Amino acid sequence: MIEVTDLTFSYRKDKQTLHGLTFSVKDGEIFGFLGPNGSGKSTTQKILTGILKGHGGTVSLFGEDVRHIQTQAFFQKIGVLFEFPYLYANLSALDNLHYFASFYPKEQRRNAEELLDELEFKKDFLKKPVSSYSKGMRQRVSMARALISNPKLLFLDEPTSGLDPAGAVLFRRIIEKERKKGTTVFLTTHNMLDADLLCDRVAFISNGTIAALDAPRNLKEKNSTHSIVIDYLYQGKRKEQTIEAPELKAGIPFLYDELISIHSQEPTLEDMFIQYTGRGLV
Amino acid sequence: MRKIFFSLLKKDFKLMLSGRFFLLALGSLVLYSCYINFVYVKLDQEIYPVYVYDPQNRQSVTSEYVARADSRKALEAACADQYSVGIDFSRDVPEVYLLSCGIETIDHCRMIWGEAILRGNMTGRADTIGANNKEMKNRREITAEFLFFELSAVGFLGLASMLFKEKQMGVIRVHGILPVRRSMFIFSKLLLLLGADLLFAALLTILNLGFSYALEVLPAVLLQAGILSLIMALVGFLCAVRLPDFKQFSLFYLVLAIFVTTPVFLAGQTGAAREWIVYHPMYHLFAAMKSAYFSAPTVDIPYYLICSGAVMLLFLLACRTLNREMTKEG
Repeated sequence: MIEVTDLTFSYRKDKQTLHGLTFSVKDGEIFGFLGPNGSGKSTTQKILTGILKGHGGTVSLFGEDVRHIQTQAFFQKIGVLFEFPYLYANLSALDNLHYFASFYPKEQRRNAEELLDELEFKKDFLKKPVSSYSKGMRQRVSMARALISNPKLLFLDEPTSGLDPAGAVLFRRIIEKERKKGTTVFLTTHNMLDADLLCDRVAFISNGTIAALDAPRNLKEKNSTHSIVIDYLYQGKRKEQTIEAPELKAGIPFLYDELISIHSQEPTLEDMFIQYTGRGLV
Repeated sequence: MRKIFFSLLKKDFKLMLSGRFFLLALGSLVLYSCYINFVYVKLDQEIYPVYVYDPQNRQSVTSEYVARADSRKALEAACADQYSVGIDFSRDVPEVYLLSCGIETIDHCRMIWGEAILRGNMTGRADTIGANNKEMKNRREITAEFLFFELSAVGFLGLASMLFKEKQMGVIRVHGILPVRRSMFIFSKLLLLLGADLLFAALLTILNLGFSYALEVLPAVLLQAGILSLIMALVGFLCAVRLPDFKQFSLFYLVLAIFVTTPVFLAGQTGAAREWIVYHPMYHLFAAMKSAYFSAPTVDIPYYLICSGAVMLLFLLACRTLNREMTKEG
């Protein structure tokens, strides 16, 4: 679906933003693009969506070079959820969706009301202006806008931003559902839980280069210390001991009266983020 | 394609409605018309004084606006104000004598005025220039000025305020990933504003000149209004997209109003002209508008070529600026 080879880009002659990114996204995959602010995530997404021109290297989408496919047919195949819910504040949710849907062929469009219903949008706000909506409601309308054209490739930038935990779960379910339909998802986020739960593979980008790229599970395993923390009772006292996983082969190598818990010590995706990008999440 | 364009038009129309653009235009229309009909035409404005040197008493024109000069020298001295018109009947062929005030349109009006007297077709009324009596001259003049002001200032502000709204809402960036040509995004706004401006121009002209006079001048007036509307809308578009906030835009607007349009008005309406005014592009647009109202439309091919070129150049710049805006961060 997406093939990027040695992608470079500079906003100014003296400052290069992207330093030769190479990655690919398969059909029907949810691909996480993770990195701190200013690392080049948005620039990459803008190049992929055809907004930004003048890049080096090759970028192909749907099997064609992105330089030659910035046509109406190309934009009909993609859906984009921006980081901020950009909507016409004077129009209602339905008017917004009808307006944005009008740019796509009729047979491709989804029903706006059904879509909003799926996103658990409050029905009594359907015809009220967006200016009266909460952030979560605006995010739902933005998501509906990204999905209204039944895109084959979906770019999502911080999809669960501004949502309560129930809303975030709902959005993840919808993203999963889109993937099951065969939609490819390019997910840009700071939310490591979203990335961990949704992505088949993630790429960590730092200072315009890809620091790591793999499935979240593989990355965690690769960076695991393979140590195990055992919580136990011995002679009436509660104790904790950390041992290496291979040591367990021969059984628990110390005396105990009762085991309370055994936990493997795996790094989280957030730990990976800090490790690969050198910066913590804010 | 037609449906997409209709969608853009509908959305822009709603934005203009919510921004009270039409209400503002209607308010301006009522205000200008009231001022013209109830105040301006009742002002007793001085018309070009006419001095006649006629030693052989060949002419029998008598009017409160016509004064007799005793000699050619006296005639020249009277006309030294660069405003009066002199007619010398001392030779076989009568001669119109006037000193140029430096503004072509005013000189042209003075020339027509002198010619009308020379032709002697005034039936005793010296305040008639061709088909225009003094009141009609005033009406045409002030209507032209109000229309120029409305199109160059209020229309400019109207489009910019609409764009600032879209910019603040961030929706301009969304259009960068929609299957729609970016030029159409600009074109729909231009067309809507052009339609509103032409309607405004027609109504203002009909209300203040009367239906029959308006019909006579409307084709030329609408042409000039269209040119001015397109140029100002595109300048407004560029400024609104380029400038980061409405405060900066307001400052720019003030500078434009004071330093750009004021000299044009001064040059067009009074004798306070400078030679450099002919290099001021707005002056030519203003002069063309005034000529259209006085049934003497501009036919200069270079003028129309330059205007077309300016519109095309501004449109290309607007497309480029829009592309840059779309690539900005949120």
